[in-house]
Amino acid sequence: MKQTLITEQTVIEEVKKGVAETLNIDKGSIKPEHSLMKDLDAESLDFLDITYRLEQTFGIKMARHFVLEHVESMFGEGSAIDENGQLTEKAVELLKIRAGGDLPKEIRAGMDMDEVPALVTVETMARGVMDILDSLPEACTACGSTAWKAEDGIHISCGSCGAHATFDNGDDLTKAWLTKVRKEKKLF
Amino acid sequence: MVITSSRRRVVITGYGMVTPLGKNTEETFENASLGKSGIDYITRFDVSGLPCGIGGEVDDRWLETEGDEKSRWLHTFSSRGLRLMAKATVEAADQAGLDRVITRERIGCVLGFHADNPSVDDLVLLHRHYDGKAWDSSGLLSLEGYAYLNFLRRKPDVAVAILSRLFGCAGPTLSIASACAAGSQAIGEAYRMIQNGKADVMIAGGCDSQLNFVGFVGFVLIKALAEKYSTPQKASRPFDRKRSGFVMSEGAGAVILEELTHARSRGVPILGEVLGYGVSADAYRITDMHPKGLGAILALKGAMADASLSPDDIDYINAHGTSTAQNDPTETIAIKEVFGERARDIPVSSNKSMLGHTIGAAGAIEAVLTLVGMNRSIILPTINYEFPDPKCDLDYVPNEARRKEHRRALSNSFGFGGQNACLCIGRYEARGEQPAVPLESHAA
Repeated sequence: MKQTLITEQTVIEEVKKGVAETLNIDKGSIKPEHSLMKDLDAESLDFLDITYRLEQTFGIKMARHFVLEHVESMFGEGSAIDENGQLTEKAVELLKIRAGGDLPKEIRAGMDMDEVPALVTVETMARGVMDILDSLPEACTACGSTAWKAEDGIHISCGSCGAHATFDNGDDLTKAWLTKVRKEKKLF
Repeated sequence: MVITSSRRRVVITGYGMVTPLGKNTEETFENASLGKSGIDYITRFDVSGLPCGIGGEVDDRWLETEGDEKSRWLHTFSSRGLRLMAKATVEAADQAGLDRVITRERIGCVLGFHADNPSVDDLVLLHRHYDGKAWDSSGLLSLEGYAYLNFLRRKPDVAVAILSRLFGCAGPTLSIASACAAGSQAIGEAYRMIQNGKADVMIAGGCDSQLNFVGFVGFVLIKALAEKYSTPQKASRPFDRKRSGFVMSEGAGAVILEELTHARSRGVPILGEVLGYGVSADAYRITDMHPKGLGAILALKGAMADASLSPDDIDYINAHGTSTAQNDPTETIAIKEVFGERARDIPVSSNKSMLGHTIGAAGAIEAVLTLVGMNRSIILPTINYEFPDPKCDLDYVPNEARRKEHRRALSNSFGFGGQNACLCIGRYEARGEQPAVPLESHAA
């Protein structure tokens, strides 16, 4: 369910904090629209480090694979990434649906997959976290209560029994979303 | 080709290896020439739940040592990696008749190796003496409190010291830890030592065994290993579009390098020559290669310049070819930059398609396989090459070994963190002019 206990602003601040700690830079200098690679000089391993930090912070499990990698394994090779390692038309359409609107102009069919990591921003990482937090179940799996609370604004727990909230794992969420989109939009 | 100097020539008089494909050079080369894979499911530790559970293990039976004096040193102080190295070095030393060299202080030793990771047992043992706040030092200092001999197994400096002890080499030693470039760099630095007159004979090579839980999980966590494969044997697919990472293996490779006139005076067979060595750093990122392969280009050009050769003189390239998304196209870019138009005419193949990645050993094993291939006019294949990647568009000797005369080759090794080494190796060819310097003047 869409949760309201942790705000998007809080998540963005926590992503900034994770990025600042990983890259050893001043948190105040980080903007939501910053590309981790292009603007903040992150390298590939830094993404993992930031991911681990966010998982610790929120008690979640983030996706290890990019959405298009899931498309490839679920809907067949070549469906999102062609044999030249470039995005297909369908991949771009899918990303547009996922972004819920316009995409940055760099994202177009024929774009090289190698250029994709540079598009990851503080904001897109925060959206990934929000999606997982929004998988909060209606009721506590331990006691059935629906009284969720987040006293520190970061950790959701059961207001009745105190159990930590459980969320879906990021890769599973991506796969479920893809199944839904495929059915509704008949994209693949 | 222009012969520009009368510097000391460095030849190869012995080689040895132990790999997932064979207990020695002959067996490994034979299997590789048939395009066999040495990769299978890991049996040595529990990989359940990990996204990668395959590797290239060396058969334990190949490492059994006879009841000789050497085994005590190996059992007491050695890591698995060094035991692999000892096995490979025995083969190389026997071939070169190393024990017949009288002046032992003129024999040195360079080893590319990172020593063993702490074992899970070690960590558990330490954990018993720590409650999260303070150490129980009395428990720790008791005889059973700390696996103090294992401490020595974590040290690459101890490894090279043991190696020099095992083979009675009293010349200079050097320990090299440049990840996947270490094996090549060890041979390159040993070649320099002979060239510069610091030694007349060198044991050089590399070894590694990261096939243990602590070592393996590190590579799993950084997502470097192949996770998508239909069978273990299909997982390592350098330059193929469906490659998904490298496959971890263990092994060792050793060579005996020797100054030419020294070798000739002993009357030992000369198996090949180290013609040049290039080494460089990307000075870029730790986990990403420079996207234009600048460091790799420097190493390749350096090796050829050192050998006074031009691109036209190179008949074959033994690629680093790890099967990772990044390495293979970047290495291709570097080869094209260095060789220009000629790049597409030179066969380039990756032994890692069959052996997996033996990390510190890889450069040494590959240098030896390159040499054996040259002497037998066989170019080893890149197996599992099925789906061309437009970013990798050279002649990768797909799937089947090729019979072809070739005399000079480059062997590439690019390490984690952008450490690059390239060896230029040639068949031994007698040249009219020999170094005019008598052996005696180099005595230490």
